[in-house]
Amino acid sequence: MAIQLAASGVEKAYRKGRNEVPVLHGVDLQVERGEFVAVVGQSGSGKSTLLHLLGLLDTPDTGIVQLEGERIDNLPERRRDNLRNRTFGFIFQFYHLLPELSAVENVMLPHMIRLKAFTYLKQRKAIRARATELLERVGLGHRLTHKPNELSGGEMQRAAIARALAGGPEILLADEPTGNLDSASGQSVLELLRDLNRERSLTMMMVTHDQSIAQQADRIVRLAEGRIEEWATANV
Amino acid sequence: MYKSLLCWRYLRHRYIALASVVSVMLGVATMIVVNSVMAGFADKMRSRLHGVLADVIVESYDLDGFWNHQEVMARINEVAGKDILAMAPTMETFGLAKWTVNGHPFTRQVQIIGIQPAERAKTGDFAEFLYENKEATEREKPVNMPPSFEITQKVKRNRPAGRFLEGEPENSPFEHLVNQQIEQEVSDNGTIIGFAVGHIHFDGKDVPIAPPGTKIGLVFPAAGAKPKPGYDDFTVVGFFKSGMSEYDSSHVYVPLERLQAMRLLGDGQGKGAVNQIQVKAKPGANLDKLAAKLQTALEGLRPMFFKVSTWEQKQGPLLSAVAVEQSILNILLFFIIAVAGFGILAIFSMIVVEKTRDIGVLKALGASSAGIRQIFLGYGLALGIVGSGVGMLGGLLFVWKINAIEGWLSRVTGRKVFDDGIYYFSSIPTLVEPMTVAWIVGGALFIAVVASIWPAHRASKLRPVQALRFE
Ligand SMILES: Nc1ncnc2c1ncn2[C@@H]1O[C@H](COP(=O)(O)OP(=O)(O)OP(=O)(O)O)[C@@H](O)[C@H]1O
Ligand SMILES: [Mg+2]
Repeated sequence: MAIQLAASGVEKAYRKGRNEVPVLHGVDLQVERGEFVAVVGQSGSGKSTLLHLLGLLDTPDTGIVQLEGERIDNLPERRRDNLRNRTFGFIFQFYHLLPELSAVENVMLPHMIRLKAFTYLKQRKAIRARATELLERVGLGHRLTHKPNELSGGEMQRAAIARALAGGPEILLADEPTGNLDSASGQSVLELLRDLNRERSLTMMMVTHDQSIAQQADRIVRLAEGRIEEWATANV
Repeated sequence: MYKSLLCWRYLRHRYIALASVVSVMLGVATMIVVNSVMAGFADKMRSRLHGVLADVIVESYDLDGFWNHQEVMARINEVAGKDILAMAPTMETFGLAKWTVNGHPFTRQVQIIGIQPAERAKTGDFAEFLYENKEATEREKPVNMPPSFEITQKVKRNRPAGRFLEGEPENSPFEHLVNQQIEQEVSDNGTIIGFAVGHIHFDGKDVPIAPPGTKIGLVFPAAGAKPKPGYDDFTVVGFFKSGMSEYDSSHVYVPLERLQAMRLLGDGQGKGAVNQIQVKAKPGANLDKLAAKLQTALEGLRPMFFKVSTWEQKQGPLLSAVAVEQSILNILLFFIIAVAGFGILAIFSMIVVEKTRDIGVLKALGASSAGIRQIFLGYGLALGIVGSGVGMLGGLLFVWKINAIEGWLSRVTGRKVFDDGIYYFSSIPTLVEPMTVAWIVGGALFIAVVASIWPAHRASKLRPVQALRFE
């Protein structure tokens, strides 16, 4: 299968005052289209950092990130914004829904950002219908107009997943999506992701601490000392 | 699209930010109220000034004036007749007024103006300022009087002798006697005196000290190389009340022919000298140009003798003092809004910190830095619109109801907030100038936007990772 997303020789250090904190020293990683990769590692090993670099939320100090064989880490800002909007979908541990917007508005957000005001207004109905559909898909059909603070953690994470899917991304980057949920709702969120991965052949990278959750991925990648230490194929 | 939606939602859900625009609101309201009241005062004052003074005044540098006013007026008509509606020759001089009422002697320094009342009335609002106010203690509805010095029967009855007839039936046998007595007492000529010459303001009331019928002695310089004082008696027939205390406390109007004769500047047969010609221009005429034109023409008639000025030039210092006052007040008040701007800046910086994570999310979803900046600039503008909009409505409402508010305040505090005796206004005058309001509101909006530039810029410079790590 074709390599969709690749990092080669990626290094990243954070500058804290005078001393540098090296986090990643030379990460090489290749992800195939439609693959479900779990990233594990100790706290502070740089999992989030790696995910942010792959998703263009940050830039590596050295090394490159490629999408479909094309280098993307040094693109001009507008192209990067566009890629984040269309190609990547992000899911965070703390959901990060906008508190002023209802669930369905949060899900419509990628389109609001993508389209010019006039085009958006013309297509609003269709966009809303699609957002509703997505929320129904993640089991929140009855919570459309609720504000985030009126939803449970599991519900918020589902809404966040719907939002990540709304832009029609090819790659989903999830940073501990179950980290804040009890094991039952964590499992149901994971199953949802799993199903989506199959249904839409979405490429998925998921950071997790939970070994049992990592086990359900196609492949497990372990980060240690700033490098990919170990490649383990999960027993599917 | 997300920008306007988020602005709108922030506006509706962040009450703290609304608190920051309260100061904008108050600033805008205060500026509108102050400007409207000041403009109202200035406007009233201008119209009163203009009412007293004719559009253009031709005067001689010499107090003794000129005899050939027919010729001068003809010359004026010749050069600018198409711009001129009416002219009136007058004679103005300083002098003293002395009189006694109920045994109390009074002396006032006055400006004595000899006029032909009907002519003078044609050249300005003069007639509108005349009142006969019998016992002017109650000011409610002063009775207007015609521009005339005629000593009416009513005025005569007001003499001390006339009091004998009070309560007497018609055709009382005393009437003839009393009338004889009165005829001996009253002088031949009437005078109209300034309201503040004939009244003293005491304890919130105007107490008359020279009611109609009072005999007033005027002293003034007579003509000649060595001026001697001239003197004559006049009977008060009414009051002149323009609302400009400068005039109301000094002007004394007397018949022109009599003044000319007493100043030894008249032949007593209608010919005499005047030292002023009041010119009323046609509406819309350019007064400055007219005055300049007349000056040149009269210079040709007699060099270095005539001075032509518009009413605005005559009151130049007063009018410009009001203008300066207003602009200084505006500068000071604008500082209030500037202070409000810093309030917005502070609260906005806080909001940016509070919204750091959301900014990261928006960026992760593909929002550009410019988009983030626009959210906060738009938010600033929205707050500005709310603040200045509410402030504008509040200010206009206050101006609209200002007299009701004044009345209420006076009732609550038990003392008159706006003493109409001091200002001669029955109510607080206001004038809302749309341009001024537009400037104030525009200025407030500008400051709100300027104050949000820096926080908005900071928000847009946040890198998504930094923002998302913010827990
Ligand atoms: N903005 C920053 N400034 C300085 N140091 C940072 C910054 N962001 C991350 N780090 C450091 O980089 C290291 C890696 O952080 P990262 O968040 O990638 O770890 P992680 O593997 O995701 O940990 P966790 O499992 O706890 O989420 C940590 O030691 C962290 O302290
Ligand atoms: Mg992490």
